Amino acid sequence: MNSKFARYLRRFFIDHGTYTLMLLPLLIFVFAIAIYPLFFSLRISFFDYRLTDPNQIQTFIGFQNYVQAFSDPVVLQSISTTLVFVGGTVSLEILFGLGLAFLLGAETRFANFMRSFLMIPMALPSLVVGLVWRALYNVDFGVLPYYLKLIGVDLGHGPLSEVSLAMPAVIIIDIWQWSPLLMFIFLAGIKSLPVEPYEAAYVDGASRWQSFIHLTLPLLKPTFLIAILLRTMQSFKVFDIIYATTAGGPGTTTTVLNYHIFKVGLTFFDMGYAAALANILLVVIAVLSIIYILMLERQQL
Amino acid sequence: MTKRHPVEKIFMVIATVFVMAFFLIPIFWLITTSFKFGREAFAIPPKWFTFDFTLKNYTQLLESSKTLMFVKNSLIISVFTTILSLLLGVPAGYAIARSRSRLLNTSSYFFLIILMIPPVAMLIPFYLIMRDMSLLGTYQSVIILDTVFDASFVVWMMRSYFADVPQEMEEAALVDGASKFTSFVKVALPLSIPGIISSAIYCIIFSWNDFLFALMLTNPKTKTIPLGILASFSAIEISWGQMAAMSMFAIIPALFISLGLNRYFIQGLTMGASKG
Repeated sequence: MNSKFARYLRRFFIDHGTYTLMLLPLLIFVFAIAIYPLFFSLRISFFDYRLTDPNQIQTFIGFQNYVQAFSDPVVLQSISTTLVFVGGTVSLEILFGLGLAFLLGAETRFANFMRSFLMIPMALPSLVVGLVWRALYNVDFGVLPYYLKLIGVDLGHGPLSEVSLAMPAVIIIDIWQWSPLLMFIFLAGIKSLPVEPYEAAYVDGASRWQSFIHLTLPLLKPTFLIAILLRTMQSFKVFDIIYATTAGGPGTTTTVLNYHIFKVGLTFFDMGYAAALANILLVVIAVLSIIYILMLERQQL
Repeated sequence: MTKRHPVEKIFMVIATVFVMAFFLIPIFWLITTSFKFGREAFAIPPKWFTFDFTLKNYTQLLESSKTLMFVKNSLIISVFTTILSLLLGVPAGYAIARSRSRLLNTSSYFFLIILMIPPVAMLIPFYLIMRDMSLLGTYQSVIILDTVFDASFVVWMMRSYFADVPQEMEEAALVDGASKFTSFVKVALPLSIPGIISSAIYCIIFSWNDFLFALMLTNPKTKTIPLGILASFSAIEISWGQMAAMSMFAIIPALFISLGLNRYFIQGLTMGASKG
């Protein structure tokens, strides 16, 4: 049994030795820096461990942190806030990205020029994006409330301080930063589509809009699925924008789970509880990643 | 492509104007505010074009030794992160692309999963480990955590890039007696420069822009530009002009790339999504 495994290993290294050695440094690095901390995180999630405690005592409390997580109204609230944020940003960005692809997808100089501007938002630090929008939204000197007032819309205390407006305001910032990415993904997808159906549609007298609706959209279905999953997973990570604009407020209206974990772990230093929350988030992300990978595999076939 | 109805054309023009205004106004606001005096940054109605132009915000920033320190720290962190990510990621991506072992091939998904881990979830244990090793506040702590994510991206990206590079020349080199490693260095690498540039740009941008890791892992001496922006922001008197000027340092790579290297950047960003 043992020698069989040894023989298998030997065989494997003769066949794939060089490639294994090229992969190994990174694999070791990632295991040491990423996988080990995740196990560490699993361990401390079973402890009551507060860095604010002068004696730094770690008390084993079993599943207590997880029980607390699922009965904590703030956590339940932040989970639904996360779902609203992710659902809102992903669906609107898909629509917006599609609109952009339709508007600026042509292979003309002008469209190309415009597209190069659309690259700026996603290359900017999200923190800067958040701060700029915070200034634009500012109720005293911000541009947006001023012009809206001119046309008769009063935003009260400003978009970021009104309970009903804060979430849409933050979602708009995310749309501003990331819908161009979806445009580029869609354009890459459109480029790889066959031309024959379009030629046939042209001969039949279809308009640009008609062939977009009846040809491009159905043919792009795989690209859609991939884009939705990719953005969903990125959207779960949102942090900088929230930090720069609302800090989770007003109240907890924009406290997404990610931000809540940050607050519990890295500002209140309740590490055990924060680790438990982080693990819950990881399970959600893991399920999504597996779906994503299965879809990539299917698309490859 | 196909003929357009005049109404459709007018609609398209109006929509394009609105869309471009939406995307460009915030950037325009940031750039102009960095050249405004304090009171004009707050002016209502807003002064878009007719303001007193000043370089005061920049001269003030450059006079402070802190600004140069922020820039230096950001440079150190992003340069080392990029080099390390490429050194680890490019050979690994090649190995996955060329190997016929099912085990090595599927390991690319392992790196994809790493990319999906929310940074906060990683930061909680990593912060504790760095604290126990007394590495909090060092460049290394930020660099290695950035490298985990960036190198995983490089593998994923280079794997699909190498898969598209024609293999005949490498096979010829192997037949002539070159080792697999030599044919990687001498044949495959020179053919993959564009892919490597895309990867490098991604690493530079994302380590330059990183805020959360730097927020928790740096100390006052190793703070990066995003933290510098926040510092100018949370001072007693909020100075939007200074914040904007400091932000200009932060967005230099972004502007540079959108003007000159956009092809590579887009390739990097869309590669993961459009190719399995």
